[in-house]
Amino acid sequence: MERRNFFRITSLAGGGLLLGTYLPFSCTTVDESIVDWEPNFFIRIGSDNTITFICSQSELGQGTSTGLAMVAADELGVSMDKLKLEFGPGSSERYGYLQDTGGSNGLRMVWQSLREAMATTRGILVQAAAQKWNVAPEECYCEDGHIHRKDLNEKLPFGAVLDIASTLQAPREIQLKEPSEFKYIGKPVKGVKTKWATAGTTPYSINTKLPDMVYAAIERCPVWGGELVSFDGSKALEIPGVVDVMEVEPTELQQEDYRGGVRPGVAVLATSTWAAFEGKKALEIQWEMGKNGLKSNDDIRKELEADYQTKSEVVANLYDAEKLFPRGRKYISGTYDSPFQVNACMEPLNATAYHQGHKLEIWAGTQAPQLTRERIAELTGLPEAAIKVNNQPSGGGFGRRFFCDYVEEAVILSEKLRKPVKVTWSREDTFLTSKYHPLCKDYWEAALDANNFPVSIRYRGSINRPGAYRCYPYSIPFMSHSYLKYKEGRLLPRASWRSVFAHPWGLGMECFMDELAHNAGKDPLQFRLEVLKNAEIQEQKQWPWVGSDLYPKKLHNTLELVKEKSSWGRLRTNGIFQGVSAMCYNGSYCSMVADISVREGKIQVHKFTAVIDCGLAINPSQVKGQIEGSIMWGLTALLKTPITVKEGVVQESNYDSYDLLRMQEAPDVEVHIVETQDTPSGTGEVGVPGVAPAVLNAIFAATGKRIRQLPVTEELLMV
Amino acid sequence: MINGKPHSVEAPDTMPLLWALRDLLDFNGTKYGCGKGLCGACTVHVNGEAVRSCVTPISSLQNKEITTIEGADGNTLLKTVQEAWYDEDVPQCGYCQSGQIMNAAAFLSKNKNPDDDAINTAMNGNLCRCGTYVRVRRAIKKAAEKINGEQGSEN
Ligand code: FES
Ligand code: FES
Repeated sequence: MERRNFFRITSLAGGGLLLGTYLPFSCTTVDESIVDWEPNFFIRIGSDNTITFICSQSELGQGTSTGLAMVAADELGVSMDKLKLEFGPGSSERYGYLQDTGGSNGLRMVWQSLREAMATTRGILVQAAAQKWNVAPEECYCEDGHIHRKDLNEKLPFGAVLDIASTLQAPREIQLKEPSEFKYIGKPVKGVKTKWATAGTTPYSINTKLPDMVYAAIERCPVWGGELVSFDGSKALEIPGVVDVMEVEPTELQQEDYRGGVRPGVAVLATSTWAAFEGKKALEIQWEMGKNGLKSNDDIRKELEADYQTKSEVVANLYDAEKLFPRGRKYISGTYDSPFQVNACMEPLNATAYHQGHKLEIWAGTQAPQLTRERIAELTGLPEAAIKVNNQPSGGGFGRRFFCDYVEEAVILSEKLRKPVKVTWSREDTFLTSKYHPLCKDYWEAALDANNFPVSIRYRGSINRPGAYRCYPYSIPFMSHSYLKYKEGRLLPRASWRSVFAHPWGLGMECFMDELAHNAGKDPLQFRLEVLKNAEIQEQKQWPWVGSDLYPKKLHNTLELVKEKSSWGRLRTNGIFQGVSAMCYNGSYCSMVADISVREGKIQVHKFTAVIDCGLAINPSQVKGQIEGSIMWGLTALLKTPITVKEGVVQESNYDSYDLLRMQEAPDVEVHIVETQDTPSGTGEVGVPGVAPAVLNAIFAATGKRIRQLPVTEELLMV
Repeated sequence: MINGKPHSVEAPDTMPLLWALRDLLDFNGTKYGCGKGLCGACTVHVNGEAVRSCVTPISSLQNKEITTIEGADGNTLLKTVQEAWYDEDVPQCGYCQSGQIMNAAAFLSKNKNPDDDAINTAMNGNLCRCGTYVRVRRAIKKAAEKINGEQGSEN
């Protein structure tokens, strides 16, 4: 994901600020009886020995809160069972500009600073106990929430030394734990969020209830770019529980499109969510639909196709591809189509805001608590210091909750009412008037030599990233052109959608690699290994959200492993065929093999074997879970109806028309994790883009048909 | 009766149980997913049967026994299912999981020894956007083993 505020990390790092370690020590002691000690913004230790991990990053189900708690537990010397969990408010004063969660960055953003902060805390606790016992600090160590004395069998709970600890300075030198000392990191540990979810007690923002709170639902303009002409709320007001009806003025979509973009709407305010929903149905509204009201998704596709015919410039040129391209003996091409998609998080978007004039408090599950606070300050004119964003665990985010329009709505209403207002989106709202993964059209071409081996690849398509940084790992020379543009703005506003641009990118690249392999008469997996072997490391570290350079060798390694684990090439019984894909995304690498069969136009996905390199896997159970989930996500995009648009209006309104993959269709999944001590990267998205190509390549193996578009329908399989 | 205790609400007859539970009675474990009986997130038990609370008006529930995800105390089966869910580390975001667990518990009360096909059929209406299906399947088998094991030792 592209986001401006990540740029600031660079400047922070340049200034030498190491988050956590240098944070001011805020000791909350006023009187003799110490209650809480907060040596930094990650941990709170109470004199009653309660130890609370304060998670700065967002929990959307990807397990970041558990992963980070494990890091804290190990580095501090606390047992995971004892560690309570809280979420830190959106705050750049506390967490630098490292807090917003996107691009699978939850762990890699704070892994180092969290460890340093915990090692510092441990250092202080040890010093405090050493003073109490009158021994050298070297004689003490932390374990299980206690400081232990090496020479005697004595220990003190952390809570017992806070009076001294809170007066001490941080040690000048800290010592991070050696991997051999980790008790949790690297093990499949279950955290607080798993306990919550099995008991049904996860504190999602949709549960928010405040004294005097108003429940709101909004009917939004069904066409992007449309306007409110007039409305009549009298029928809505007759519904029991409805207390008021009012206009919601739109906010302009900003250059950084995760800010703004509240649609024109009419809000129904009520005494329960249900009454608000019922009232919404009774509204009578006149909209002016505008230009988009005449367009469908096919029109948008045609705009991209037309733009393909126009002149473009080369924006990236690897291994001299531009020079080599005209020298081909033959040329082949593949054009890949992917439709609009929606995140369809199971927890509908919602937010609660309480605007009190001089200060404002927000309760929301957001991926971007800092950005939200910044944006709300901009919107309301309040200083950031007057705004508190209580970030809560989300019932799915997948990129959508990085965009803060749904929080803006609650703020706009609460500003009018000066009461706490909870805006809950109905399921229909989340399909019909949300923000969407864009429709893409991608053109891949290759120049071949006399042996049909590719000598240069040219890409032109909807993805605007290949010019800046790319997920292109191979040694075949590659160039990309400036991206395709719509004639007149977007038909639907954009949101990030699990793996963002990597999804259409992976679809094109990994299907095309397969075509190139077959053309050259090579096994597709072997072919990839061959063109990865001598590929060069690509610099990408300069993009903070990527986090590290691209190492083709790592991808090569995952491919070698998946070849072995999937018994590649050896499975040919029962009509089962295999397809392969290899993807890299923001420092992680994932190769996968799909085992499928096709019978009478019906495709069955039997099994996925995946190998991931995500650096040090802090929690293997969660890493595997993310890949399992990514596969279901990718299969939904591959097999189910996408978002379609007619006359500007989205046609899919609930889970009946936008179906998700279901239990009966869920394949077996086997995930293998590459063992490494490299810095953790991320796992939430790298597994998504390879899913469709692996299956499509398997369909080719099974039927000889090249399908280059999503979704795969019976029709496409039968022709 | 909700989880063994009597409750009453003042609300229009047509209000779905889901919203009475969540907004009026503070049983937030039961989730709103689709409001149309399409996703299973709102599943509760009414007299032991799995029911979608988003399409069940409160007027139909007088003197019925309702069990929600919060009702595991004294409900051994539900507790066992929850434990299996924890052991297998099923939930990701967790939002669909109350419904998954309630549906699985109702299913296991009727089919104590389900195979994959039976599980797939029974759970096919419970959607999970995070894609936890593989583990849901595993957890149901684990819960079944546990239930059978316990019964075996009692006999
Ligand atoms: S909320 Fe009831 S089935 Fe979806
Ligand atoms: S765990 Fe997130 S929807 Fe199922």
